[in-house]
Amino acid sequence: MRKKKRAWFATAICAAAAALICAPLLMIPGGSLMDSAEMRRILAPILGEGSGFAVWHLIPLYPTIGHFYRLLIESPAFYRLFWNTVGMTAAILLGQLVVGLPSAWAFATFRFRGRDFLFGLYVVLMLLPFQVMLLPQYIVLQKLQMYNHPAAVVLPAIFSTFPVFIMYRGFTQIDGEILEAARLDGAGEWQIFLQIGLPLGKMGIQAAIVLSFLEYWNLVEQPMAFLEEQAMWPLSLYLPQIDISQAGFAFAVAVMVLIPALFVFALGQDALEEGIAYIGVKQ
Amino acid sequence: MFLLPGFTGVMLFYLFPFFEVVRRSFVKSGNNAFVGTDNYRTVFTNSAFLLAVRNTLLYMAVGVPLLMGISLMLSLLLRGLALRRKLVSAMLLPMAVPAAVMVLTLQILIDRQGVVNGVLTKVSEQITALPAFAAIDYLNTEWALAVVVCSFLWKNTGYMVILWLAGLSALPKEVEEAAQVDGANRWQSWHYIIRPGLSGSFFTIGMLSVLQIFKSYREVWMVAGSYPQEHIYFLQHLLQNWYLKLEFDRMAALTVILSLVLLCVCLLLQKRLEAG
Repeated sequence: MRKKKRAWFATAICAAAAALICAPLLMIPGGSLMDSAEMRRILAPILGEGSGFAVWHLIPLYPTIGHFYRLLIESPAFYRLFWNTVGMTAAILLGQLVVGLPSAWAFATFRFRGRDFLFGLYVVLMLLPFQVMLLPQYIVLQKLQMYNHPAAVVLPAIFSTFPVFIMYRGFTQIDGEILEAARLDGAGEWQIFLQIGLPLGKMGIQAAIVLSFLEYWNLVEQPMAFLEEQAMWPLSLYLPQIDISQAGFAFAVAVMVLIPALFVFALGQDALEEGIAYIGVKQ
Repeated sequence: MFLLPGFTGVMLFYLFPFFEVVRRSFVKSGNNAFVGTDNYRTVFTNSAFLLAVRNTLLYMAVGVPLLMGISLMLSLLLRGLALRRKLVSAMLLPMAVPAAVMVLTLQILIDRQGVVNGVLTKVSEQITALPAFAAIDYLNTEWALAVVVCSFLWKNTGYMVILWLAGLSALPKEVEEAAQVDGANRWQSWHYIIRPGLSGSFFTIGMLSVLQIFKSYREVWMVAGSYPQEHIYFLQHLLQNWYLKLEFDRMAALTVILSLVLLCVCLLLQKRLEAG
């Protein structure tokens, strides 16, 4: 009996924390459907047009799809930015898989000279914040004449070492005896990688994809530093440029940015949690 | 073989340019003359640098213990709950929310005439026992740091909860059960069994929290811009602003300093990660 009570209590506290964390998101759907006049009225104090305090309506009094109409029908620029984001994210993810999978496999299955040192280097690189690499990458991008070109954002990201680490962790879960048996049966290294490694390391691969997607869908610093032309920007950098006086429109953009991210989040939840656990736990 | 294409790219985009920056930190750009540690001296005597160091340290001193404490408490409570998976997912949701979306709601909530102040004023009017509430201008006073810490907690709590839970699940269950049979209370089993068993996790999660502090620039910049209130002017602002002003000599020196510091954190952490 006492145990049950305690469980209820713990659930209540955690649920309250979870609710607190999720609460701000509840503002978004309502905001995107709110009529401009209503938005103007309730946000007037923030817009400098009144005293008192702003309030918020979770459910708009006069719902309208006007913002989505303006965004999806009347703003061709939106599609360019949207496809910029999609294109960059897709190119990065694809590149990370092509380049990163074999690297992760090499670290997980081969013992070669300098392996530990190299792997250590990869770990350090994945933990450094972007600002430390800002000047180094600027220099190399200038040299390669890629500055102000989408490749300036995509190429360095492809060689990011973070997905390599996550996929490596996935591969180390594979039982070494299976690989040994395959070798004895005369399978080539590539064959083992493609036919045993990829299917069995699936969790790590999925985790890397989900983590990378959420990271690159949300790119801010890199395009800001390396892309001068707004036409190349991703949505995540365009959204903050919308003035608060157009909050309804901004919320509509927010919904469009959020939907793909939430979709991936919902689909890849197990992989995401697994991937985060990979980062911290020694095996 | 397998590693070559990836490693070439890492060399090209990360290692080689980094060593170029190390070289440049000792020369004057333009004529490439060797100037010894002049660039470093400029950085260390720069008032913006000193301010940024102080702020970053303060942010770390407040943010890291809070994050670790809150997430550890939540994960201890979450352990063994039926709804555990659902609750963890809800706490992880901020990972899926792009910074720009978060900032949009934040603008409405924490403006001086925003929703949060509005609610607090209402509450203090309703309950007469409380002193009258004066609206706080969160982003333009020292409260700015509180805003930044809150957004840091919001973003990273779920992440750290998962790491704690993973650490907790690695503890052998039998010991704790045996202790409970022997009449140990909750506090005793925490003090003698769970806490010592988690000492590795404490270290790993602490280091990762420190590194997350440095990775949390995106939100800060979006909320407050390139020249925020002076309490939340961090080292990343400095790097970013020197970059925009093309002050590459100092920037090279600062990059080297910062990466040396972070390298130490990483190396400490790595000892543990590599054991796996």
